[in-house]
Amino acid sequence: MSVDARALHRRKVWRNVGRYTLLTVLAVIVLFPIYITIVNSLLPARDIFQQPPKFFPTDPQFGSYREAWNAGHMGNYLKNSIIVTVIITTGQVVTAILAGYAFAILEFPFKRLLFVVFLATLMVPFEVTIVTNVSTISNLGWYDTYAGLAVPFLATGFGAFLMRQAFLTLPRELRDAAALDGYGHWRFLWRVAVPLARPAVAALSVFAFLAAWNQYLWPLLITKDDRLRTVQIGLKQLQSVSIDQVNVTFAGAIIAVIPLVILLLFFQKHLVRGLTAGAVKG
Amino acid sequence: MAASGVTLTPARKRLRRREHGLAYLLLIPSLVIFGVFVFWPLVHNVYLGFFRNPPFPGLPSKYVGFDQYRDVLTSQTFVDSVKTTFLFAILTVPVGIALGLGLAILAHQKLRGIGVYRTFFSSTVATSVAVAAVIFGTLMNPQVGLLPWLGLTTNPAILQNPDWALIAVAVVTVWQTLGLTFILMAAGLQGVPDELFEAARVDGAGAWSRFWHVTLPMMSPTIFFAVVIGTIFALQSFGQIDILTQGGPLKKTNVLTYYIYDTLQRQSDPGKAAVLAVALFFFTLILALAQIRLLERRVSYER
Amino acid sequence: MRSWKRWASSGIAMVVLTSALVAVTAAPDAGAANSTTCPLNALKKASKPVEITMWHWMTRANETALQKLTDAFNSSQSDVKVKLVNQIDWEATLAKYKAGLATGDLPDVVQLQETDQQQAIDTQTLLPASTCAKADHYSFADFVPRVISYYTVQGTQYGMPFNTSGPVLYYNKKAFTAAGLDPNAPPTTLDALRAAAEKLKANGVSAPLGLKVDPIFFEHWTAMANNLFANNGNGRKSRATKTVFDTPNSRQIFSWQAGMVKDGLATTNPDLGGNIYDDLLGIRSGSHAMAIDTSAAFSTIKSILGAGNDPNIELGVAPMPAPGAKAAKGGVFVQGGALFMVNKSKPEKQAAAWQYLKFLDQPANVVAWAIGSGYMPIRQSSANSAAMKDYWAQNPGSKVAYDQLLNGPTNIATSGSVIGDNKGVRDAVRDAENSMFLEGKDPKAAVKAASQNATTAIDDYNSRIGG
Repeated sequence: MSVDARALHRRKVWRNVGRYTLLTVLAVIVLFPIYITIVNSLLPARDIFQQPPKFFPTDPQFGSYREAWNAGHMGNYLKNSIIVTVIITTGQVVTAILAGYAFAILEFPFKRLLFVVFLATLMVPFEVTIVTNVSTISNLGWYDTYAGLAVPFLATGFGAFLMRQAFLTLPRELRDAAALDGYGHWRFLWRVAVPLARPAVAALSVFAFLAAWNQYLWPLLITKDDRLRTVQIGLKQLQSVSIDQVNVTFAGAIIAVIPLVILLLFFQKHLVRGLTAGAVKG
Repeated sequence: MAASGVTLTPARKRLRRREHGLAYLLLIPSLVIFGVFVFWPLVHNVYLGFFRNPPFPGLPSKYVGFDQYRDVLTSQTFVDSVKTTFLFAILTVPVGIALGLGLAILAHQKLRGIGVYRTFFSSTVATSVAVAAVIFGTLMNPQVGLLPWLGLTTNPAILQNPDWALIAVAVVTVWQTLGLTFILMAAGLQGVPDELFEAARVDGAGAWSRFWHVTLPMMSPTIFFAVVIGTIFALQSFGQIDILTQGGPLKKTNVLTYYIYDTLQRQSDPGKAAVLAVALFFFTLILALAQIRLLERRVSYER
Repeated sequence: MRSWKRWASSGIAMVVLTSALVAVTAAPDAGAANSTTCPLNALKKASKPVEITMWHWMTRANETALQKLTDAFNSSQSDVKVKLVNQIDWEATLAKYKAGLATGDLPDVVQLQETDQQQAIDTQTLLPASTCAKADHYSFADFVPRVISYYTVQGTQYGMPFNTSGPVLYYNKKAFTAAGLDPNAPPTTLDALRAAAEKLKANGVSAPLGLKVDPIFFEHWTAMANNLFANNGNGRKSRATKTVFDTPNSRQIFSWQAGMVKDGLATTNPDLGGNIYDDLLGIRSGSHAMAIDTSAAFSTIKSILGAGNDPNIELGVAPMPAPGAKAAKGGVFVQGGALFMVNKSKPEKQAAAWQYLKFLDQPANVVAWAIGSGYMPIRQSSANSAAMKDYWAQNPGSKVAYDQLLNGPTNIATSGSVIGDNKGVRDAVRDAENSMFLEGKDPKAAVKAASQNATTAIDDYNSRIGG
């Protein structure tokens, strides 16, 4: 190597070291809260938040997880969250597929008006609906039930938008060929369109799952006691009850995080694709 | 489908009507849900604001017309709440987007193992508002928290400090949404063709100039999307306030959503809560429309 | 194109009409009122077992103790079976109860925070304990007088006493010794507390007093000064319409609090949310040497202190210091909660509820509850029993709250106030105190603001009740 090339190479190495350092520092900052939570969930009670703090559990105690799961009811909260979230996700995906197909493929009067109506739902903040929704749900007899937790959220304007985008990309020739083969709309939708739009369906599923999992205000209002509490408000409950047992509260927080971590490990790609569809297309 | 000039035979008409029917059928599930749980409550909410309610159900409500609207919307608590809400949005949305964009650019470099860093930066997407609030609430606790060790003590403690509480809650919010913002920005960045960067570099543009003239304009649809959606979500923040500060101290974190919840649940005043909710709706709508009107102009959609 | 407009407008008209109808038909149960008779005999004729539910907010050790007593009741007879439903916190319990008034989803017995009793009375859904006591020839003579007087409003006792606690001063005996103070002579007045705090601070304790901003302390100090908090006999002779605490005494109390914080002798923590026990955590970390809190937190503070493992901390418990420089003329009132029977249930369930409550308040069960929960024994015979005396000999700290209740006269002032919108009044006091601590508001102005805002809240509530 010539002298110049070597100098260039050295500069590049230093620049990369600098880059990696910056990236690592930032990653540490971003990950630190979760890391310290895991550490503290494993510390024995007397070690928690000592000054100076302990950054590594030399004697990990998994009892806090057991305590959070059983006495802290996190196991029950997790079960409720999973049930409700799956119901909502399924409902949203199905209604979005149906609506998206109608908007993308079919022609009918008031189509544009109805599409605006769908999008308008994104503008209505949830708080405007809570008072009436609580009484509607109570009148239907669904107060403190899985139905009450899930039904108001079974449709989504954003989902319809996403599926419409996906179905719009289907080539016309495909439709025409299917029609010639005797495929009615229903069969075309489920046998052809949906399988082809699988990335959008996956992205929507991830979105819907995240949003439903994160719900806080509605479960707070519509559940009566611990039986149907979901993980988010359950965690708040756990914190207030375990105020002197920080390790248990933190174990509960980690328990609440794990399902999402699993979901995202498998579906991160789809999340990205879904977001791209929304953002780049405007 | 109905190309002009094509005559409609009876068969075609029937087909068209069947198609209309099918379309409506497909839309009905969504429309029923929207009707019952979104639009009807919106309308009903306006109506609810006309009544002064007893502290608990069972006693009659009193019709007071627009008096309750006037009293609530001119009260100092309401005005302060609106200011706090907007302040909170300003503290979280630009910072969150800037950080997300910055991290996305850094993670866009062609370095070995960059995927690992991308996973790290998107990790907060696995946390929810409740998880983040519980974690940070404990970390910021003056007795058992980490702040004294970091040398960041305030008197009074940060979450009870009227000057710092809102900022603290904003920090928690930004951290929690960082993962999602990062993923969004990274996705948008991937849509920018590399040739543009190369061309700029060849033209002698420095890093900052590349950012300003290539990255930013090409990312403008993504950023625009993030700003609009981000503001809508910022205006609806609730969980972290409920866990960390409950609207305090001295109502300094009493954003509109928390004010509505507090009025509804703790003061049992659905009429007043309805008025506040109507106000929230209008603010969200106006802000979103304003953003779309003002910012879309600066978004370059050309590819 | 026009037809859909017509369709839409008639739809809207229908919607408005329906909601108007709904509003009208949701009018109250015109005959709703608190019961004046007790359906004692309904139990005999009903098919057994009669199942009843009780909503409560006991957690951890307290929940275990309550469950144990309930299981004992269920297995001791076959007429009544009690199911417990945990609402985790008292605010949620009241909120759910109020929601239940509309949905019809009510328990047969509800445990309510003491301050919620006027609202509970106003819901007109209660079967008062005294009504059943009279019908059943049940006597409250053995109960601690101040416990009974708290839950008696306009001559009727609505709640069955159960979980009763009081304010106490927790302190670190070792810190006292290190500062040259007598660990067995804790301060008995606020002035003495300040003097002790100054010595502790000089000895290195950064903020000797952990001062929780809990409006109830102000109410206790008012009662200890033998003053009324609200008018109309503290709301007990007839409904309270305003607060009467804008007095020199109150200004002294507020000044004392402000002075402690300003002079670095105390730091504050909220009484709601995740930081309510920061004062106790501060004793553990050594930043505090004293904290005023409820006697019901005794087990919490023991668990925080790690059951006496720390060589630098030895927990002491003292009575609530009297406001000012001299001993109290009045006394503290009771805190905690009571059990209220709901008259919306079928008669046999109401009768069953009464049997359950009598069981819980049997002298031996009161002892078991006191020992298992950390609340105090509400019956004098329970307090004098061998088991209780034994327990207190081993845990002298838990006797303090009980003794305190026997100090001073039992009168209207020391019975505490009864206000419908207790939450609004407490919010007003809390905001005023916080404005002193966080914004440096003048104590005199703060008391005035508290008094005025509290009266506004009372007015607002009364007008919403009176229609």
